[in-house]
Amino acid sequence: MDLRIKRERLFDEDVYTVHPDDYRALCEQLKKDGFDYPRAISSLDMGYGLRVVLQLTRMSDLAKVEVRTDVSYDVAAVDSVTDLWPGVEWHEREAYDLMGISFRGHPDLRRLLLEEEWDLHPLQKRYDTGGYLIPDWRPADWPDPAPWQEPAPSQEDAAPEGGEGE
Amino acid sequence: MSSTIGLEPVLGRSDEMIVNMGPQHPATHGVLRVVIGLEGERITRAVPHIGYLHRNHEKIEESRTYFQVVPFTDRMDYVSGTQNELPVVLAVEDLAGIEVPERAKMIRTMFFELFRIASHLVWMGTAMLDLGAITPFLYTFWDREIILGIVERTAGARMLPNYYTFGGVRRDLHPHFFKDVAEFLDHLEKRMPDYEHLVLENPIVHARTVGVGVLSKERAVARGVSGPVLRASGVAYDVRKAFPYDAYPEVEFEIPTSDAGDTYARFWVRFQEIYQSVKILRQLLEKTPKTGPFKGRAPARLKISGERYRAVENSRGELGVYVVGDGGDKPYRIKHRGAAFSNLQVIPDLFIGAKFSDAIAILSSLDPVFGEIDR
Amino acid sequence: MSLIPIPEDRRFKIKLIGYDPGRSRPWLERFVYSLYVVAFWLFVIATYAGVPALFDWLGWDGGWGYVVMRALQVVMLFLLSAVIALMLILALRKYLGKVQERYGPMHYGPAGGIQTVFDALKLLGKEDFVPAAADWLTFRLAPAVTFVSSFAIFAVVPFASGWTLADSNVGLIYLIAVSTLSAYGVLLGGASSGNKWALIGALRAGAQMVSYEVPLALVFLSVAVWSGSMSLGKIVDAQLGVWNVIPLFIPFVLYVISSLAELKHIPFDFPEAESELIAGYNVEYSGMSFAFFFLAEFVELFLLPALIVVFFFGGWHGPLFGLEPGTLAAGALQSLYFSVKTAVWVWIFLWIRATLPRYRDDQLMEFAWKAMIPLALLGLVLAAYMRLIWR
Repeated sequence: MDLRIKRERLFDEDVYTVHPDDYRALCEQLKKDGFDYPRAISSLDMGYGLRVVLQLTRMSDLAKVEVRTDVSYDVAAVDSVTDLWPGVEWHEREAYDLMGISFRGHPDLRRLLLEEEWDLHPLQKRYDTGGYLIPDWRPADWPDPAPWQEPAPSQEDAAPEGGEGE
Repeated sequence: MSSTIGLEPVLGRSDEMIVNMGPQHPATHGVLRVVIGLEGERITRAVPHIGYLHRNHEKIEESRTYFQVVPFTDRMDYVSGTQNELPVVLAVEDLAGIEVPERAKMIRTMFFELFRIASHLVWMGTAMLDLGAITPFLYTFWDREIILGIVERTAGARMLPNYYTFGGVRRDLHPHFFKDVAEFLDHLEKRMPDYEHLVLENPIVHARTVGVGVLSKERAVARGVSGPVLRASGVAYDVRKAFPYDAYPEVEFEIPTSDAGDTYARFWVRFQEIYQSVKILRQLLEKTPKTGPFKGRAPARLKISGERYRAVENSRGELGVYVVGDGGDKPYRIKHRGAAFSNLQVIPDLFIGAKFSDAIAILSSLDPVFGEIDR
Repeated sequence: MSLIPIPEDRRFKIKLIGYDPGRSRPWLERFVYSLYVVAFWLFVIATYAGVPALFDWLGWDGGWGYVVMRALQVVMLFLLSAVIALMLILALRKYLGKVQERYGPMHYGPAGGIQTVFDALKLLGKEDFVPAAADWLTFRLAPAVTFVSSFAIFAVVPFASGWTLADSNVGLIYLIAVSTLSAYGVLLGGASSGNKWALIGALRAGAQMVSYEVPLALVFLSVAVWSGSMSLGKIVDAQLGVWNVIPLFIPFVLYVISSLAELKHIPFDFPEAESELIAGYNVEYSGMSFAFFFLAEFVELFLLPALIVVFFFGGWHGPLFGLEPGTLAAGALQSLYFSVKTAVWVWIFLWIRATLPRYRDDQLMEFAWKAMIPLALLGLVLAAYMRLIWR
């Protein structure tokens, strides 16, 4: 399978940076490889887009792996992996709630910690600690060599322009 | 939070009564709200709602320096004090390459285990309170008070000590520390048979917990639970053994596991963990030098770049933190992986099909702390 | 300079928590609480000996005079039940404090002696609130039903030889009828509150009543068969030689368990399980309505142990030291024996309350239907055989 992926090793973890469209495929692969214990899903505002960081452990040999994928502000959505690891259910909801990343196929995607009526995702860098929009905040340009490596060059969504920032 | 999700009646089910358990309910250990559907006493649905104690630690911590982040973490799992500080401290030490003296590691580990005992004592009292016995609560809080007294003498504060720092601990041990801890351990070993008699050997506790809320091994792993809840389901996963930190490689202890996976097994595992903590503390009291460095060299102004996930085994399970630094003195992003947060996800698995009274027992065996779950 | 307690180490307790067992002044405590006991005893003597003697002296001992005398005795018993409630609430709080290594009430009155009086005053001053969703009439009547049905048990309890309001020859049947009624109060109160927790509590109370009432009735039957009478006075009389607890041991154990269930007492306090149903059936009650539920609970906490003593522990029997039965001195002594035996059982109930956790409600039902009823039938058959053989 051709995954748009970059593999590296940081400290004691294998880190895979993957194209959002291949995120689900990689997760299925990892599930087949025996990574059965979901530690957490973290989310980051990279300035040019949002990053999902999925951390997994294999209980048999305690190997740790980290899957990263970047999405643009405009299309802030990846496929949910709740059916592979039910334990990420609340972590995905939390990432949706605080960071604004949607998870396609999540069974119950709604706000977890904030109120239903809340209309912003406070962990995004465009908001300050008080929850107000920072006036001169602009999204950065998408990094030119994308964080993952392309197996075969395909230009259709390698360099989106980034969101307008409201 | 104030949502009505879970409250809507199921079509064609007029015999289901929907009750809101919480957020103000004596047995929810704080501010959990579970929308429960009842058919008689049997639970047909359980929709947990959290976030009533949400303060968005993660956003606040982005605007604080690394030194200011550490006291914030204390406020997460407020019954296990210094245990919350350790993941941040370890991650930052990894990224900044700070060396920690051996003695400082041992001091940290001793405090870590003292707080594990304190937390499990609080759990024991509140779990028995949930089962209807008021007296054990007062006894266990008495013993916890001694631990807090010991911590106060060294760290200066009782519940939220802000004691660990990058490269070691903030202050040297109080001169009476070793004597105090040794006396406390003797005292605790005298009390433990009483507690076993009150809790584990109590026939009513047996009747209420054995076979109640069984969490299978596969489900426990897939749900990402950790700590005593996971070990009670038969998985010997303990961060202290799996990814050792501080002085844990130098001490001997076992990971108590049970295959039953029921509420009683979770009770039992926590009891055995207290014994293991006593064992660890006894070894460390012997090994730790009475004097020596308590803090390594750490820059007064930490500037960090890179990202690191570190986890510790706190009283509730794997307490992780994902620190991202952008080269400044403030973290770019901190994500806390709460142990109780992940453990609480199993509520629908365990509640549905149980009796309402069982739900209370199950919840107390999960030992949630809402400072950490809601953050 | 040690932080560590040895349980007897007073210095430690003062130092670390500020707890000083000596500060509760045990001797003052005993003196103050014995005043309650003396008041209780004097009330009993005044009710059962004083009032009839007064009417005898006035010459109003026939016709309407008799009715007025009985009415006055009922009023006295109502006051007595208030004394009992104040005394038992205080005893409960102090005793729980002792068990739990803390003081209990300390500040109002010597050694906290009149704390419960102030508690009652506080309840009097609170708004008696009826929720909008409640059924007004039922909601209002329920505490009265509960209290009256508990209080009505007093009518047949013999405090000493002849010291009873109505030594009826259907006393046992009366008891069954009246004690069942008390569960109705709980059921109505909970169901009319318009609150889901209260409703669950009420349903639990109903389910619980259905399960413990049957073995209770069978135990009454065994006692009646063995004693040859349904009158409580005659049941006590029949225990002159040997207390019923020895021949009727199985019914005795079942009766204690049923009493705990009837009292809604730990380990069977399902209708008001604090950690499950918040306060259960009385969650919406406040002020004096709540106080009446409370009063009923503590009056029952006195009366059910009293009935244990009447049925199984020889009632007022005890050495009379040559006093003529029927005189005032003998009656006073007998009522003292009765009260002491009752106090021991109240203490046992409080001890259970301080020690045990709670069962699950269906476990009581299962136990009652699968174990208690067969055992009660066995006890009944044994009682009948023993009666045939020995009497």
